[in-house]
Amino acid sequence: MSRVPIERRLPLPLLAVWRIFYWNYERTTIPYDLMVMAILAFVWLTPPDWLGDPTARGLGLIGWLTSRLP
Amino acid sequence: MTLTGAVGAIFMFPLRGIIRACVALGIHPNVLTLIGVCINLAAAWALARGRFVLAGVIMVAANLFDFIDGKVAHASGTASEFGGFWDSVMDRFSDLALFLGLIYLYASLQRADYVMVAAVAMIFTVLTSYTRARAESLIDTCKVGFMERPERIVLFMIGAFTNRMAAVLWVILVLSVLTVAGRIYHTWRELSGDRSVPA
Repeated sequence: MSRVPIERRLPLPLLAVWRIFYWNYERTTIPYDLMVMAILAFVWLTPPDWLGDPTARGLGLIGWLTSRLP
Repeated sequence: MTLTGAVGAIFMFPLRGIIRACVALGIHPNVLTLIGVCINLAAAWALARGRFVLAGVIMVAANLFDFIDGKVAHASGTASEFGGFWDSVMDRFSDLALFLGLIYLYASLQRADYVMVAAVAMIFTVLTSYTRARAESLIDTCKVGFMERPERIVLFMIGAFTNRMAAVLWVILVLSVLTVAGRIYHTWRELSGDRSVPA
C-alpha cells in the first residue's frame, strides 16, 4: 500500500510552510523571486534596534516612514 | 522573465567579456579560484575591522573570480574533476573566513550574542554543503533547500553595503538550518523508498 504524499495532505497555509522547508524550486522562478523579496523586506525593513544590531542603530526604514506620518 | 532572471542577465553581460579575456590570456581556472580566495581573505579582514562598505567592494571582486572560474574552465576546455574539488574546498574556506571576520568583530565589540549567531550560522553553512555532498554519495541528487552559497554571498554583500549584517546573519542562520533539515529529510525519504516528490 503506497502512502499519500505529505504535500497532498496539508492545508494551503501549512503547504506554504512545507514548501519553504522542503524547498526544491530552481533559481529564476516565481517562487524564488517571492522568497528573495520576502528576505529583502526582512533585511531592509526590520529596525536594527529590534534585532540588537551591534553595528547599526535606530528604527531603519520603518522608523523613517513612521516619522513622516502626521 | 523573472526579476532574479533579469538581474542575473544584467550582471552576466560584462562578465562575458572578462571570461573571454581570461580564456584568451590562458589563465588557468584553478589560479582564478585561488585569487578569489585570497581576495576573500581581505574581505574577511575588512569585516573584522567593521569596514562593511570596503568589505562589500572586496567581496564583489573576490566573487567575480569565484563566479568566472567554472565558466573559464568550460570555455577553455580545462574543466577537470580536480578543478571541481579544488573549487568546492576553496569555497568552504572563503565562507569560513567571512564568518570568522564577523565573529572577530562581534567579539571585539563584546557582543557574545552575535558571536553565537555568527558561529551557529557558520556551523550550518558547513553542514549545508556537507549534507549534500554526503547525501549524493548515497542518492542521485540532493538539491533541496534555499540557502546555498550564491544566496549566502549575495546576502553578505547586501548586509555589508547597507549595514544590515545582523538581519542578514539571522536570515542565513534560519534558512541554513531549514536547508540542512530538508536535506536530511530528503535523504531519509529517498533511502526509505518514499519518492513521492522529486527534488
